[in-house]
Amino acid sequence: MGSTAAVRSKGSGLGGYILTRFLLIIPTVFILVTLVFFLMRVVGDPITASVGDRLTAAQLAERLADAGFDRPLHVQYFEYLGQIFTGNFGRTLTDNRAISEILVTYGTATLELAIYALIVALAVGIPFGMLAAQLRDRWPDAVLRVMAILFYATPVFFAGLLLKLVFSVWLGWFPLSGRATSSTQLTLSGISGSSGINMLDALRTGRMDLIGDVAAHAVLPAMALGLLTAGVFLRLVRTNLIGTLGRDYVDAARSRGVSKSRLVRKHAYRPALIPIITVMGMQIALLLGGAILTESTFEWRGLGFQLAQYLGARDFVAVQGIVAMLAVIVAVTNFIVDVAAALIDPRVRY
Amino acid sequence: MATASFRRRGLSVVGTAAALALVLAACAETEDPNTDDGTGGDTGAGITVGTTDVIIALDPAGSYDNGSWAVMNQVYPFLMNSPYGSPDVEPDIAESAEFTAPTEYTVVLKPDLTFANGHALTASDVKFTFDRQVAINDPQGPASLLYNLESTEVVDETTVVFHLLSENDQIFPQILASPVAPIVDEEVFSATEVTPSADIAEAEAFAGQYSISDYVENEVIRYTAFADYAGVLPPAVTEEITVQYFAEETSLKLAVQEGDVDVAFRSMSPTDIGDLRTDDSVVVHDGPGGEIRYIVFNFNTQPFGATTAEADPAMALAVRQAVAHLIDRNALSEEIYQGTYTPLYSYIPEGLTGANTALQDLYGDGEGGPDADAAAAVLADAGVTTPVTLNLQYSPDHYGASSDEEYAMIEAQLEATGLFDVQLNSTLWDAYSAERTQDLYPAYQLGWFPDYSDADNYLSPFFLTENFLGNHYDNQEVNDLILAQATTVDEAERTALIEQVQDLVAADLSTVPYLQGAQVAVAAADITGVTDTLDASFKFRYAALGR
Repeated sequence: MGSTAAVRSKGSGLGGYILTRFLLIIPTVFILVTLVFFLMRVVGDPITASVGDRLTAAQLAERLADAGFDRPLHVQYFEYLGQIFTGNFGRTLTDNRAISEILVTYGTATLELAIYALIVALAVGIPFGMLAAQLRDRWPDAVLRVMAILFYATPVFFAGLLLKLVFSVWLGWFPLSGRATSSTQLTLSGISGSSGINMLDALRTGRMDLIGDVAAHAVLPAMALGLLTAGVFLRLVRTNLIGTLGRDYVDAARSRGVSKSRLVRKHAYRPALIPIITVMGMQIALLLGGAILTESTFEWRGLGFQLAQYLGARDFVAVQGIVAMLAVIVAVTNFIVDVAAALIDPRVRY
Repeated sequence: MATASFRRRGLSVVGTAAALALVLAACAETEDPNTDDGTGGDTGAGITVGTTDVIIALDPAGSYDNGSWAVMNQVYPFLMNSPYGSPDVEPDIAESAEFTAPTEYTVVLKPDLTFANGHALTASDVKFTFDRQVAINDPQGPASLLYNLESTEVVDETTVVFHLLSENDQIFPQILASPVAPIVDEEVFSATEVTPSADIAEAEAFAGQYSISDYVENEVIRYTAFADYAGVLPPAVTEEITVQYFAEETSLKLAVQEGDVDVAFRSMSPTDIGDLRTDDSVVVHDGPGGEIRYIVFNFNTQPFGATTAEADPAMALAVRQAVAHLIDRNALSEEIYQGTYTPLYSYIPEGLTGANTALQDLYGDGEGGPDADAAAAVLADAGVTTPVTLNLQYSPDHYGASSDEEYAMIEAQLEATGLFDVQLNSTLWDAYSAERTQDLYPAYQLGWFPDYSDADNYLSPFFLTENFLGNHYDNQEVNDLILAQATTVDEAERTALIEQVQDLVAADLSTVPYLQGAQVAVAAADITGVTDTLDASFKFRYAALGR
């Protein structure tokens, strides 16, 4: 009883809540970085993978020693932790690039995809969730609920391949892969102060051919990734809306003769959407996880795509660095969303 | 209330934006601004090449991989190079290149050479190029190829002398055309560390057939013909080439099929290539390839090997010979690789100077097919009791997805006659790479890509006593001949020595080579010049492509 009271009193204030949430970032990142460090060592080193078939045993041993792979694991581990602590995520082993440079170069592409996916998720999840709630227990509701489960349960790479097959190969409506055609990509990369977000850069040029090209390339990846989250939003909106539609004040409005659609828009809509803000925070992690597979499926050259490439090359410095960066992004985003949710709805703090 | 209004507006904006994106996308569909009217976009009437290669670095000191090498061959000048259609090298930006003393190789540059950025290309750049390779000695780089270089000396603005450790090194001219030798601009490159690719591209530090005008690493590169290229190769047929990088083989295949790229070079699966051969919209071009696949025998641990309980050199040789008699290379080539690998009957791939068919002459039916009777006879003559248990190892993750099928077929071929009982084992590459040199595998799979297009690169690494295979093969006569061919100046005499080495090794069967990788390029029907560059130099030059 005492401990519960203590926890409650600690968490009851906004300051305490924010502090607790902030401190949770440290163990989250630490655990993830540690896990990745040791797991990556299980699959071997990049030197053996790349040149192991043309070196004598002695030459290979020498190269491994030069790269520091012969040192005890714990020494490498603590050295790596020290580097991270000082903000140095190192350089990749395979192509000698700074991890921070990779984050800047490819993070924008991932951010762009995440934004598109979020737009799809909201554009599909919210209206269909509202529709399902209004038509509760009728056949459209059943169809939408099954659809939501399908969206959520279908592996994102499978959905991606299916979309490619239908809309690219069979129908030819959208490009197969990439963020833009090669000429568009070169043009956008070459404009002064390129943001790395293709749509933004295309809009800056004001050229419809570039904007259309970028949009065409974005549709299928955004659908593949966005529908995954749309399923969650659809179910959440439906459930919350049904809950709020059963509240007393809604009943009172209904008894005043307010129409059903107006009831939803005017009285039930807002409270039903509040939990989505909290869930959106959690969905960031899901989106980033999904982005790795989506980017690989569509050759969308973002952080996820790079991560998959470096994994294939067994470049564990790169993988560690990118995962650590992603962990920090997810943890910080969740922190911001949690704080925002706590500010909007004080009940969250409990 | 204001907040609610804001939220409603926000959702409207989101919905509108999503709808707008879909409308824009629908308007755009898959039209390529590069191809819609032939003049749209920014590439004009150039050619687009697609590849699944990956660039590690544009700096020759920091990369030793196919993807980076492919770029270097377009943009850097070399002192020596292979003209289209030949594996042998000639002076490139050099006016002359020759031994002026047993350990001195003198190169005289053509006058008034420049890089695309306007910097002069002089003997000083050449010395800088080689000195920095040695100084940087990057683990991912090719510096080890300069094993015979003692120092580089500048005599005057156009003359360089390479001081070598061993005399009359006939491999050295090939080394000057290899990944260690692209000539770099000393005003751009660092003398002590690998220079970032973006900096190199930005500085236009190129003097090959092409310069790079736009560079987005591992996504897209735009090449523009370099008018002042002064090497042995002809000027670029097409002014502008765009290379698009794909991560998936299937995406590349679909891209060439759909006309999104004009030429696809490296790499597609055998199944995809087989499919494309039946597609009238594209032409599949085949050329000789430098990659070889072979089985290594460990002379200590193979059946009847030196450290086994029943050690017997004659019986051990008979086992190796029986394997050589039984392997059906045509079946492997056609059924597993759809012709993307071709049968190999020697230690040196077909197309290179000095290659013969030593294995075909000694084993099988004499026409390239297997011969079960000959295998049975050789084992019986040596007194070997059959079936012989043979532990055969392969790596399922290093030599492509078809290795499982490849070795299942080899197992079936060896066991079909009842002469062998093959214990087939697979090990992932990281463990495999370490274990193969620890005498753990009696017989095992390996593959080889050449460092340079010369027969020596298929002999020295394998059959000198101190070789990278570590399989305990030791034949002093072979040793002497390999060392002799490397320093024999007379070409005919050298070729004869190379053939002699192949014959001796074919008799010893330290390894059994069985497949040679073909180079395969898939191009739109109107693309010309592919076959000009798909040669035994194994350098695919975009400058030959036209339409």
